[in-house]
Amino acid sequence: MSTYTKEQIGNLVDARLDWETTLRMLSMPKDRERFEMYLEQLQQRVPWKDRIVLPLGPHLYIARNDRNQWRVKCGCGHDFCDYRENWKLHANIHVRDNAEAMLEVYPQLLAPDTQWQVYREYYCPQCGTQHDVEAPTPWYPVIHDFEPDIEGFYEEWVGLPVPAHAD
Amino acid sequence: MTLDQQDDRAPAQVMGIDAGGTMTDTFFVRSDGRFVVGKAQSNPQDESLAIYNSSQDALALWGRDVDQVYPELVTCVYSGTAMLNRVVQRKGLDVGLIVNKGFEHTHSMGRACQSYLGYALEERLHLNTHRYDEPLVPLSRTRGVTERTDVQGEVVIPLREADVRAAVRDLVDGGAKAIVIVLLQSHKNPTSERQARDIALDELKKLKADLPVFASVDYYPSRKESHRANTTILEAYAAEPSRQTLKKVSDRFKKHGAKFDLRVMATHGGTISWKAKELARTIVSGPIGGVIGSKLLGEALGYENIACSDIGGTSFDMALITKGNFAIASDPDMARLVLSLPLVAMDSVGAGAGSFVRLDPYSGSIKLGPDSAGYRVGTCWPESGLETVSVSDCHVVLGYLNPDNFLGGLIKLDVQRARDHIKAQIADPLGLSVEDAAAGVIELLDLSLHEYLRSNISAKGYNPADFVCFSYGGAGPVHTYGYTEGLGFKDVVVPAWAAGFSAFGCACAEFEYRYDKSVDIAVPQHGSDAQKIEACKVIQSAWAELADKVVEEFVINGFKPEEITLLPGYRMQYMGQLNDIEIVSPISAAKSPDDWQKITDAFEQTYERVYASSARSPELGFSVTGAIMRGLVATQKPVLPEDPVGGPKPPKEAHLGTRPFYRHKRWVDAQLWKMELLQPGNHIVGPAIIESDATTFVVPDGFETRLDSHRLFHLQETQAK
Repeated sequence: MSTYTKEQIGNLVDARLDWETTLRMLSMPKDRERFEMYLEQLQQRVPWKDRIVLPLGPHLYIARNDRNQWRVKCGCGHDFCDYRENWKLHANIHVRDNAEAMLEVYPQLLAPDTQWQVYREYYCPQCGTQHDVEAPTPWYPVIHDFEPDIEGFYEEWVGLPVPAHAD
Repeated sequence: MTLDQQDDRAPAQVMGIDAGGTMTDTFFVRSDGRFVVGKAQSNPQDESLAIYNSSQDALALWGRDVDQVYPELVTCVYSGTAMLNRVVQRKGLDVGLIVNKGFEHTHSMGRACQSYLGYALEERLHLNTHRYDEPLVPLSRTRGVTERTDVQGEVVIPLREADVRAAVRDLVDGGAKAIVIVLLQSHKNPTSERQARDIALDELKKLKADLPVFASVDYYPSRKESHRANTTILEAYAAEPSRQTLKKVSDRFKKHGAKFDLRVMATHGGTISWKAKELARTIVSGPIGGVIGSKLLGEALGYENIACSDIGGTSFDMALITKGNFAIASDPDMARLVLSLPLVAMDSVGAGAGSFVRLDPYSGSIKLGPDSAGYRVGTCWPESGLETVSVSDCHVVLGYLNPDNFLGGLIKLDVQRARDHIKAQIADPLGLSVEDAAAGVIELLDLSLHEYLRSNISAKGYNPADFVCFSYGGAGPVHTYGYTEGLGFKDVVVPAWAAGFSAFGCACAEFEYRYDKSVDIAVPQHGSDAQKIEACKVIQSAWAELADKVVEEFVINGFKPEEITLLPGYRMQYMGQLNDIEIVSPISAAKSPDDWQKITDAFEQTYERVYASSARSPELGFSVTGAIMRGLVATQKPVLPEDPVGGPKPPKEAHLGTRPFYRHKRWVDAQLWKMELLQPGNHIVGPAIIESDATTFVVPDGFETRLDSHRLFHLQETQAK
């Protein structure tokens, strides 16, 4: 089993880890203490005090506030909603549903026909970070990507105590 | 080689160099077949110095030095890893690339397989490990020119001269130190590419820029554009700097009175001069040396079928010699690049004596490699800075290796340190004793190599019982018993100079140039005479073109055309097949329908040998896919030592004592012998360990070995106890 230093995990988070080590990490069984070290590194990179429970994206987290509620939070500190809700419904949404809007991201003729496919972009209302883009058919409801079983993950997968939880 | 023969002053004749990343080995052979092996730390800044030091180390054993010996030498062959490292580390020359307009991105994109070449199987399976390396030539130094030759070789759009001139000016401005030209289908019709080359040279002259120009057709006129482009770029990118290194090595030899011309081991299994035009083909040479050495030994001893096995610190390489020939792969990959170079076919697995050992935390199983401690040996070497257990640590704990005589005592190994690490990382988590955990690791390595060897032989349709197994490499003799046990080889041979065997093999290789060219010939089984004559014409003109190149190379080295033996060959398949076979041509020139018959007959005979008689399919017709021309001149080769055979009882002074040795759940006292002092005819029954400075030969309980007059050990399983 391999072990890695805090520095290496920090570099991994910042995408500055050398490729040799990255490849070894990818192909070897995951080291037991990785998740804890990873959380610690993420925690150091956010400006708020709430403890991160689980990362949801590069700048999106489930974090525990001082009342032990699990909330979806942006890296900037904006509070979206309870972790069981779909945070996208609390985000600013930009929809590309016509040829002109598509031209901004794709050259002519290389974009999808917007009668069949649209792009929905989700932004943080406070800092403007783009957290997600989905590419569904126009009539499709907002997708709830991820409903994690946090208790199961902590207890059965990484063998850690489940963080305190108000309800 | 042995101390008691020191006063015998036969002249030294042959020198082999293996300049690895960590150690530079030299190998000297005298006219009476005696040899010495020297070692020195490699010096990437000045390889010639490392070679000098290594030579002094070797020659000290004869009580001589380079100023006496270099002038006596007739031949010297170099092999090294510097060029390969230059490519892997992307530290080559700034090359400018000219391609067809619209194809500028092709080289950067590369072939998809390049994103996982060189990976172990489990790494290939996962997409997130796939990765595209930096291209050898960046897009910023790539220019497109208007031209198109179609797949039949017709020029559809002629070359636009102004484009080439503009591209050359751009590239020179952009800092290119060499220009490579690769146009589509140039192997089929070289006209446009040659035009582009001449225009580029002319433009460079006008610019007063002294840059070399490499047109793919002048170097590797083979089909498969990525392969051809990569190989031609390598020639400029990596081989030109190597030429400077080799010049330095050659100059130092001359300074010490050497009269020989330095040669380099090439991928096709021959050696070429360091002045050769196609130097990129020397990119890998070390492991090939062992195969060439095995072939020569096999010829001397009368073995036609040999399984060559080489264990180093990081990998296990194997190759098969069948009916006295090794196979050649025509478009292999190296350094994660697809190339069009003829390469001695070898199979490698990333498990060696230095492989790291880890436990899978979920399944609790032991995993070996794929990374290894390399020159840092293992945690048993306190100065290594390593914390992860390696296979060598297990060897030290179990008494396989002598901790006080590793590399002749160059470094001291700490058994207790290795024990502690094995205990904490492997033994305790598994609930085993340190000995059983370490023995488990060794058994796992032996078993995986054993299976690898077996499956590689049987997958090619052969039976191990028809083969003699040669085992060499620094760590080979430690494991020979383990990976050959029960496979039923006719004989298992361990040369006393196992550690220097690759260098020995390089010294055995022919002075041989080889050029390849793709051709497209298809003739039905009962083709007309006109078709056959036309086919012969195509082959013959390709041979003539290649022969000119071969002769030119030898002329650079001062040989006359009449001193060269030319050996034409071709690659052939039944029409519609995907894989071709390489054939040494039975005829020296092709002209008539009768000649065509001989060409197809030779193919069918080889096909029958490689596959089966019933697999022959002449009704499909015949395709020739490539023409080959090899040229060689006579060289001095090492002579096998030939000692008088004495009795089976080893001399007393060879006995060094005993050492506790653990295998099959018990400690035994293994008899220790000094390899250099054993006499031909000596017979040793396991458990025994035969030590020399560079290698350790393990003969466990249930095995016995005999040293023959050529200083080869023959390892056998002891018959029913």
